[in-house]
Amino acid sequence: MPQKITIALAGNPNAGKTTIFNNLTGARQHVGNWPGVTVEKKEGVLKHNDYDIYVVDLPGTYSLTAYSLDEIIARNFVVEESPDVVVNIVDASNLERNLYLTTQFMELGVKLVIALNMSDLAEARGQKIDTKKLSDFLGVPVIPTVGHKNKGTDVLIQTIVDMADGKINLDRVTIGYGEEVEEEIQKIEDLIQRDGALTQGCPSRWLALKLLEGDEEVTKKVTEEET
Amino acid sequence: MERREILDQVKRSSAHLKSISGDDIETIISERRYGFISGICKQVVTRSMEERLTTSDNIDRIVINRSLGIPVFLFLMWLMFKFTFTVSGIPMGWVEDGQEWLGDTIGDLFPEGSILGSLITDGVIGGVGSVIIFVPLIFTLFFCIAILEDSGYMARAAFVMDRFMHKIGLHGRSFIPMILGFGCTITGIMATRTIEQKRDRFTTILVNPFMSCGARLPVYALLIGTFFPEKGGTVLYSIYILGIIMAIIMAKIFRKYLFPGPPSPFVMELPPYRMPTIKGVIIHMWERGALYLKKAGTIIFAGCILVWFLSNFPWNPQYSRDYDALKQKAEADFASGLVTKEAMNETIANLKNEQASEKMQKSYMGGLGRIIEPAVRPLGFDWKIGVGLAGGFVAKEIVVGTLGTLYAVGKADEEAVSLRERLQNDTWPDGRKIFTPLTAFALMVFTLLYVPCVASIAVIRKETNSWKWPLFAAGYTTALAWIAAFMIYQGGKLIGL
Repeated sequence: MPQKITIALAGNPNAGKTTIFNNLTGARQHVGNWPGVTVEKKEGVLKHNDYDIYVVDLPGTYSLTAYSLDEIIARNFVVEESPDVVVNIVDASNLERNLYLTTQFMELGVKLVIALNMSDLAEARGQKIDTKKLSDFLGVPVIPTVGHKNKGTDVLIQTIVDMADGKINLDRVTIGYGEEVEEEIQKIEDLIQRDGALTQGCPSRWLALKLLEGDEEVTKKVTEEET
Repeated sequence: MERREILDQVKRSSAHLKSISGDDIETIISERRYGFISGICKQVVTRSMEERLTTSDNIDRIVINRSLGIPVFLFLMWLMFKFTFTVSGIPMGWVEDGQEWLGDTIGDLFPEGSILGSLITDGVIGGVGSVIIFVPLIFTLFFCIAILEDSGYMARAAFVMDRFMHKIGLHGRSFIPMILGFGCTITGIMATRTIEQKRDRFTTILVNPFMSCGARLPVYALLIGTFFPEKGGTVLYSIYILGIIMAIIMAKIFRKYLFPGPPSPFVMELPPYRMPTIKGVIIHMWERGALYLKKAGTIIFAGCILVWFLSNFPWNPQYSRDYDALKQKAEADFASGLVTKEAMNETIANLKNEQASEKMQKSYMGGLGRIIEPAVRPLGFDWKIGVGLAGGFVAKEIVVGTLGTLYAVGKADEEAVSLRERLQNDTWPDGRKIFTPLTAFALMVFTLLYVPCVASIAVIRKETNSWKWPLFAAGYTTALAWIAAFMIYQGGKLIGL
C-alpha cells in the first residue's frame, strides 16, 4: 500500500513553476478549475518508491494577501487543505522579490521546501548564491534546480519525501517586527489563543499579523463567526 | 464576545502603531519583511555586477561599506556624545542653580541643628537633587539614540558590527542588546532573549554590563563637568569605548573558555531608511527617560535617605572637644574685647568645620568608610568615594547622590556651595587634593566596570535561571574594575599625572 503525500507548488509568476510541475509529474496530469471560479487548477501524480505524491499547482502569486483571487485561492488551499509539504519555487535571478512569498509561507507555519530555480541564469548574470547559508537563515531546505534542464529534480523529490516524513528538522525562523509591533502582536495573539476554533489550520501569530495588516478575508472570518 | 475583543484590540493596536511611526501598519510590516529579505540577500548573494541602486542602497554603500562602516559608526557615536554634552549643559546649569536656591530657601526655614531640616536639605535636596540635575543630559542622549533607531541606522550598526562580532565568536544579534545596554543594562539583558543559542546568549548577558548604561552617566557627567570641562565629549566617549573594548575582550574569553562552540547563523535585518517622526522620537525618549525619573523618585530617594541617616547618626556623638563651649568662649572673648569680630567669626567657622568633619567620621557611614577605605585607597579613592561606590550597588546614580549627601553634610558655612566646587576643594589630611583629573578618570573607569546594580543582578538571575551567573558577573566585573582603576591611577602617578 503506497503512502499518499499531497504537495502544493507555489511561486511567483514566471519563476518556472510549470516546468518543475512537468518535471515532477510527467504526463500524469489533470487540468480542471478551482471550485467556484474559472481559475485553472492543475493536478498530477508522481510515483516515487513507496509514495504516491499528489502535486497541486497553485496559481502564481507574489504574496498571500487577500487582494487578488489567485492569492486567496493559493492561501485557502494551504490553510484549508493543509498539504503535507509546500514547495516554493524561487527564481534565483530575482531572489529578493521572490523571497517575499517565502516569508508568507514561513509565517503560515507550513512544511516548506524551496526549489531555487534558474540558478544557472543567476550565475550567468554574475550572482552566486550560497544555498547552505540561505537555508540556515530561512530555516527551510533549499534545493538548487534548473527546470528546463531537469536538474535537481531527484534531490527535490527526496527532500519533499523526507520533509513529509518529518525527517528534516531545521530550526524554525521567526521574522521579527520590532519591539512595538511585537508587543501589539502579542496582545492580539493572547486573545486569539483563547478561541480554539480560530487557530485551526494556521498559527495565531499569522492571524494576528493578518489582522494588523487589515487583511479583509481574515477580518471577515473573525467577524462572521462572531455571531 | 471574545471575537469582538480581538477586533477591538486590533483597532487599538493599529491606531497606536500608526501614531508612533506615522505610517500605516501594513507598510511597517511589509517593510520589516523586506528588511529581513534584504538582510539575507546581502549575506547570501555575491554579485559581480553593478546593481540598480535605490536611495537606501546608496546610503548603505557608505554606511555598511566594508572599510567605511566602522569609522562611520564610531564617528556617529562620537557626534552623539558631543551633541549630548554640548546641548544639555545649559539646562543643567539652570537645574543646578534652582536646586541650590531651593536648598538655601528651605534650609532657612529650619533652626540650626534641626534633624528634619538636615534630612530635607542635605538628604533629599542634596542627594536626589544631584541626580535630578542630569535629567536634561539623559533625555538628550535618549533623544539621539531614538533618532538613530527610528531612522534605521541602528540596524546598520548591528550589520556593520556583525562581521566584527563574528571575530569574537558572537554575531550581530548580540550587538542589539549591547546597544540597548547604553540605555539600561536591564533592557539590554532582556533583549538577549532573541538569541537562540545558549552560549551566545549567556556570553552577551555577561558582558552587557560593560555597555555603559544611562545610570552611570550622572557619575561621568559630574566628574567630567568638574575636572574635564574643556574635553567633555571626548572623555565621555573614551569611557564608552573602553566599555565596548572590555566587553569585546571578555566576550572573546568567555566564548573560548566558558561557552565554546561555533556561532549560529543569523539574518541581519535591514529595513529601509526612514525619516524619524518627532512624535515617535519623543515617545521613545520619554519611555526610557521616565524610567530614570521613576528610579530617582523611588530607589534613589530611599538610598539617599539611608545614606543621610548613616552619615548623620549618631546625631550627637562623643566629640573629642567641647565645641559648643569653645564657640561660647570665642563669643565671650569678643564681648570682653579680647578679639575682633572678624577673628571671632573665623574661629567659630573653623570650629563648626572641625565639628562637622568629626561628626561625619564618627557616624555609621564613617565606620563603614573606614572598613572600605583600605580596599579603595590604592585606587586613589578616599572613604567618601568608597561609600558612594558601595551605595552604587543599589543603583549607579547613587554614587552621585551619596557624594552629594556626604559633601552637603560636611559643609561648614551656611552658603550652599555646589557639589562640583566641594569636590574640587576636598583634600586628604596632608593637604593634597583628593580629586585630581587622574582620580576622577580612575573613578569613572571603576564606575563603568564594577558590579552591575542590584536590579541587573536580579535580571541576570532570572534570565540564566541560576545564581551562579549573577554571582560570577558581580565578582568578575568588580575584580576587573579594581585592576583597571589601579593601573590607571598608579600608572598615571608614575608618569607624573
